[in-house]
Amino acid sequence: MSSSWPLRLVLLGALAASCASHRPPPEPGVLAVAEEQSASFTRNFNPLLYSGDVRWPARHAMYEPLFIYNPLTGAYVPWLAEAYAWSEDRLLLRLRIRQGVRWSDGAPFTARDVAFTFRLLSRHPALDVQALWQHLADVRAPDDATFEISMKRPHVPLLEAIAQQPIVPEHVWSGVADPMAFANEHPIATGPFTEVTSFKNQVYEVARNPYYWQPGVPAVRALRFRAHPSNEQMLLALLGNELDWACEFIPAVERIWQRPDPHHHHWFPLLDSTIFLYPNTARKPLDDARVRKALSLAIDRALLVKVAVHGYSRPADGTGLSDAHARYRDGAAAAEGDWVGHDPARAARLLDEAGFPLHGGRRALALTIQVPAGYSDWVAAAQIISRDLRRVGVEAAVRTSDFSAWFDRLGRGDYTLALGWSELSASPYGFYRALMSRKTVQPLGETAPENWPRFGLAAADELLDALDATSNPEEERRLVVGLERLFAKHAPAIPLYPAPSWGQFNDTRFTGFPDAAHPYAPLSSSLEPQTLLVLTRIAPR
Amino acid sequence: MTAALHLLRRLGFYLLAAWASVTLAFVVPRLMPGDPAQAVFARLRGRLKPEAVEALRAALGFTDASAGRQYLRYLGHLARGDLGVSISHYPASVASVIAGALAWTLLLVGMAVLLSFTLGSLLGLLAAWRRGRWLDATLPPLLTFAGALPYFWVAMLALFTGGFTLGWFPVRHAYDESLTPSFSFAFVASVVRHAVLPAATVIVATVGGWMLSMRNTALRTLSEDYVLLARAKGLSPARIMFAYAGRNALLPNLTGFGMELGFVLSGSLLTEIVFSYPGQGYLLLRAVQSLDYPLIQGLFLTITLAVLGANWLVDLATVWLDPRTRT
Repeated sequence: MSSSWPLRLVLLGALAASCASHRPPPEPGVLAVAEEQSASFTRNFNPLLYSGDVRWPARHAMYEPLFIYNPLTGAYVPWLAEAYAWSEDRLLLRLRIRQGVRWSDGAPFTARDVAFTFRLLSRHPALDVQALWQHLADVRAPDDATFEISMKRPHVPLLEAIAQQPIVPEHVWSGVADPMAFANEHPIATGPFTEVTSFKNQVYEVARNPYYWQPGVPAVRALRFRAHPSNEQMLLALLGNELDWACEFIPAVERIWQRPDPHHHHWFPLLDSTIFLYPNTARKPLDDARVRKALSLAIDRALLVKVAVHGYSRPADGTGLSDAHARYRDGAAAAEGDWVGHDPARAARLLDEAGFPLHGGRRALALTIQVPAGYSDWVAAAQIISRDLRRVGVEAAVRTSDFSAWFDRLGRGDYTLALGWSELSASPYGFYRALMSRKTVQPLGETAPENWPRFGLAAADELLDALDATSNPEEERRLVVGLERLFAKHAPAIPLYPAPSWGQFNDTRFTGFPDAAHPYAPLSSSLEPQTLLVLTRIAPR
Repeated sequence: MTAALHLLRRLGFYLLAAWASVTLAFVVPRLMPGDPAQAVFARLRGRLKPEAVEALRAALGFTDASAGRQYLRYLGHLARGDLGVSISHYPASVASVIAGALAWTLLLVGMAVLLSFTLGSLLGLLAAWRRGRWLDATLPPLLTFAGALPYFWVAMLALFTGGFTLGWFPVRHAYDESLTPSFSFAFVASVVRHAVLPAATVIVATVGGWMLSMRNTALRTLSEDYVLLARAKGLSPARIMFAYAGRNALLPNLTGFGMELGFVLSGSLLTEIVFSYPGQGYLLLRAVQSLDYPLIQGLFLTITLAVLGANWLVDLATVWLDPRTRT
């Protein structure tokens, strides 16, 4: 055994490996899409099972909703339904169902399938993740083209959940004994991609629906998904041109992704929810709006956005709204929330007023900022906040903990300050309800799934109740502006920045993706059901 | 006779250890803050309305039964081989989720550990045999240095150069996506090619330790009188090296190897993440993150059984290698 044999072995291995190339040319017409991070796949295409391990296409490409809400236009795009109308008392919603649509096995789609899907949710509350049946009294399909919903009491914001409910076929699902445990390995759906042509634990492919209702659509032949367990693997696949469409966070995106190849594109619109610094208002001293506003004024958001979010966002304004709600934002309300600016001197004055004067460079305020470990952008933001607060004499130590421990503290109110996301839905109703409604306030110690600051205002509930009963766009906007004013006045929570919705695409082989110049839909491949807007538009070169 | 008694006593000890670890697998996840339904709610970030959490909890099989009751039911299910339903992979059963990863982990990490141990022991023996020579002077410090580098960094470097820049090896997955699993030559060749980079990084990271400990024990054994006697008898150097020195020097290393072999099933988390390998380590990480009690328990069980099984094999091997245990 000569001493140089390990070297020879390595060379031999390298030689054997280099004989075969590992990057076969991608198949024409097959779009490679990034799935959620995972090392291997289980075969499950059950669109109703939000809590389960379900493959991406189920709700992004296979099963379709009645309408698709487009956050860029604020419109409900007609999909399996063509129109909707509320009754005068907002207790009846009538939808006109599209005719001529067929399931992927050729059977016709009718309003009866829609009624069946909604009744299925009422029989299986664990599948009713939007809690629809808290508000619905009855559903019926008087004929094949009409679907009617009766409400227990007016609750117009429920429209989003109704509109975007994925619809399943009655002739298949009526035979399913337990839809919770149903893996739906051979899906029958109305969407553009329904045929699972191959499924292996690390790669699978879904081909187009032979009966798709939109003429000439989809132009893409099939979708392919590979398992990528980490950001690094996802990035390698993107840079190696093995992924056509993804929703990855990429640091220094211009340098790493955009510049090396003119076919690489990204678009990071601020359509995700606003990131907040939550104060626990159920405890002293953060029950005092002056203290909350002072903390907010001490934060240099411009720097925070530059350092923690790589400049991909902007400082939040006084309404706390992200760009997903840009058309609701009222300039006057935003100006009233002047406590989101950077003004350490005013912060110091407010703290003095609130009874926390400086003593030897420090104030009698001991706070901690809770952040989930591993959320590197949030940890960086918390460190900047901590440093800024020290400058006005407030000690706020950053505490990182495991995600579930952080979430548990947030829910039970066992914190003083914590970073967190906010509610995001079609209208700002849910956003402000989760920040200011007394109905969402839980006592300390009880787990609160929303309203982590534990802040409630009677005036907010009046406006929210009025929003329940109006479907008039002008009236709705007037009421939302009222909520914005309340938020700007009371500072129930400290908004930091609206979070970007990540998205990138490679137009070497496909065209028609949305971007800043063609903002017809969000680009992120994780937004369901908005991905249907993109999948029905892109085409091979 | 005494050997049988020795083995029987070990077996009793293993049963006790198995019970203890099964119990720990039940207790430890429940000490973590939060519960699995809450973890699902947090993961869905608002796509799940708070009002639906209770229904979900009921559907996932959460009860308010006392911990003692739950523990007894858990033992009962375990005795019947029923590991339950995974929450992070709902509605797949724990058994099917583990089955999908077990074989790949055994293959990759098992082979890598076995190769590393064999290679390390051989090199160690060789270094001791030709003490102070070229091999002995260069390899131990070099391999110790390689082993001391952060594993994540080594793996990323291997992935980036060998896989991405040079394109010699595939950058991800256990086999080529155009193939279906079978015992054909093409498939086996693809599996081997995909395993080269991850296995090589594991070997580079661990071989130094095996070599060093083998070298040190072999040095001691080589100075024993019976080795001197063997030389005096005029036995061939190869026989002295392997049958006299090697066999005895291997004993302490073997215990360490048993431990290592057992921990193979806990997977090599970083290897699997860096190389997108479908194994148990990543599964365990995901299970812990989503507070998936049934999957955590199932994975702990397989790891426990593997550690105990490997130790049992080491016991048998020791009885075979070391005549003193037989008397």
